[in-house]
Amino acid sequence: MALLETRGLTKEFGGLTALDDVDMAVEEGELVSLIGPNGAGKSTLINTITGQLSPTAGDVYYAGTDLVGMKPFEIAQLGVGRSFQTASILPELTVRENIQVASFAAEHGSFRINFLRRRDSFDAVQEQTNEILQTIDLDSKADMDARSLPYGDKRRLEVAIGLATDPDLLFMDEPTAGMSPTETEMTVKLIGDLLTEWGMTIFLVEHDMDIVFDVSDRIFTLHQGRLIARGTPEEIREHPAVREAYLGGGEEA
Amino acid sequence: MSMDTIRNSFDGDSSVLSWETWNRIKHTERFVVLSSVLFVLLFSYAFGRAPVVSDVFQGYHGLAMTILIWSIFALGFNLLLGQTGLLSFGHAMFFGTASYAAALFAIHVYNEPLVVVLVGMLAAVALGVVSALLLLRLHTVYFSIVALAIAQFLYFLAREPLVEITKGINGLDIPRVPLLGIVDLNHEYSGLVGTLLVNNLYIFIGIFFVAVVALITRIRKSPYGLIFKSIRENETRTAFMGLDVWRYKFAAFLLSAAIVGLAGGLMAVNTQFAGVERLYWSVSGDIVVMTVLGGLGTLAGPVIGTFVFFYFKGIVNGFPTLGNYWLLLLSLSFTAVVWAYPDGIWGMLTDFTAALRDPKELLTKTRQRIADLVPNGGDR
Repeated sequence: MALLETRGLTKEFGGLTALDDVDMAVEEGELVSLIGPNGAGKSTLINTITGQLSPTAGDVYYAGTDLVGMKPFEIAQLGVGRSFQTASILPELTVRENIQVASFAAEHGSFRINFLRRRDSFDAVQEQTNEILQTIDLDSKADMDARSLPYGDKRRLEVAIGLATDPDLLFMDEPTAGMSPTETEMTVKLIGDLLTEWGMTIFLVEHDMDIVFDVSDRIFTLHQGRLIARGTPEEIREHPAVREAYLGGGEEA
Repeated sequence: MSMDTIRNSFDGDSSVLSWETWNRIKHTERFVVLSSVLFVLLFSYAFGRAPVVSDVFQGYHGLAMTILIWSIFALGFNLLLGQTGLLSFGHAMFFGTASYAAALFAIHVYNEPLVVVLVGMLAAVALGVVSALLLLRLHTVYFSIVALAIAQFLYFLAREPLVEITKGINGLDIPRVPLLGIVDLNHEYSGLVGTLLVNNLYIFIGIFFVAVVALITRIRKSPYGLIFKSIRENETRTAFMGLDVWRYKFAAFLLSAAIVGLAGGLMAVNTQFAGVERLYWSVSGDIVVMTVLGGLGTLAGPVIGTFVFFYFKGIVNGFPTLGNYWLLLLSLSFTAVVWAYPDGIWGMLTDFTAALRDPKELLTKTRQRIADLVPNGGDR
């Protein structure tokens, strides 16, 4: 059984159909990428799956559970993590605290009455926070305020928060946007580590085609809300509809 | 606040090591609670009776007690606004309701100061549950305005339709009875205790003040302290981390209501009175001013803000000529402080003491501040 599956997923905004009857399945342990031109509905698809938007029609199944109608925090608690396109961090908190909040969510669930216990007494949370800090290589900046981080580090912290929620399936929305070549390289390496060492399933939205074709097991192509192609990187590269819709009719590709 | 300055005068150019030690100590719970005990021990004396200092303040014991109670109010309000980022323009509802509940319980059921204060607190929590169900669906300005509407609704309800119960604008009088049946709250001490604390009522209020400081310090150091801030910074992100934002906001709201209710109950015991003016909208406004003036999101800020507010209202008000303009003077001070220091008086003080350790830093910071202020000063 697929880890994540959508059936006939449709989202309309007024008269506009942002998602049109999307059927797709993501298997456990694979890395799938979603590509498509601007306005293809990529963000809408992620938002609909993770509970930010409710679909007009269709179903979303995660490990057999229907996600439709669930709130974002409930979906996150099931093990669906998310890193945002724009660095959606907590600017006034330190880097460590940013990760810690997510660690508490992962360790303690969506709500727990513990306002009379000091947070430094929760060892498991502290350990997880430190582990993430090391993995993302932010431990030297752990006590800095998140807002004073350089741009690339903010993006990495964004990914770190997603990781700290301890997901089985992680949605990464353009994780390398605006990064320097070195930072991009580090992020690509991190994605590889997440798959192999952390055993995660990754759903990547990315504009950098080199990265997409390099790391993906399979690629979905979205165009005007419809899934027009799916397959291995080789299949997608040669797919006529993709070349037509996305790679500019093949002339530039 | 004063500890910082004292230490500065002792070892102005001390080694880095001792500053690090100090930075560690000043954030420990024990230090914060001990400071609040010391504050309670010295506050009334310094404010009303100490040589020289009190001549500057021109305060008096009764006002010191009022300030302690309102400080509890401001601390409870700050938990919601400063920590969680929810701006309620209706917090008078908890203060006034708790006062009424305390008075009604004392008159009709059982009159004992401790029980009465706790009854006030529970009434505020009950009101908190109901109002949170309405308010937590709303965001930003809608939250603020509907909170104000609920408080005003209760004000008019208490004033006219419920006049049989609340005695309308005349209010309710509570006879003073001994605490736990044995401790006379009016009893005045002699000697050192008398000099510092004057009477049992002050000690009674002071104990609650310290307890509230300890509670809030613990909340700030608990997972809640972090999660509240996370909600304040980015609610959507917090939800996507897997946290039930609604329930945490609900918790913040009830904790805030409980602390404010405690202040309302104490006010009823302190003044032996409960009246409709404690529900009035201007009370909700005053508490916003006190908290923001002192420093949002900090522990000392609301207490300082409350002190400054009552200094203007209670002392400057009595000055010849100048007294007529106390509200104007307060407004001007408020505007000046918040304009230059968005983190309030406490932010100003911490900036200043930090700069004293490093005068060069002060110079660059001051230059930066002036540069920031001149072209687009009013943007905060």
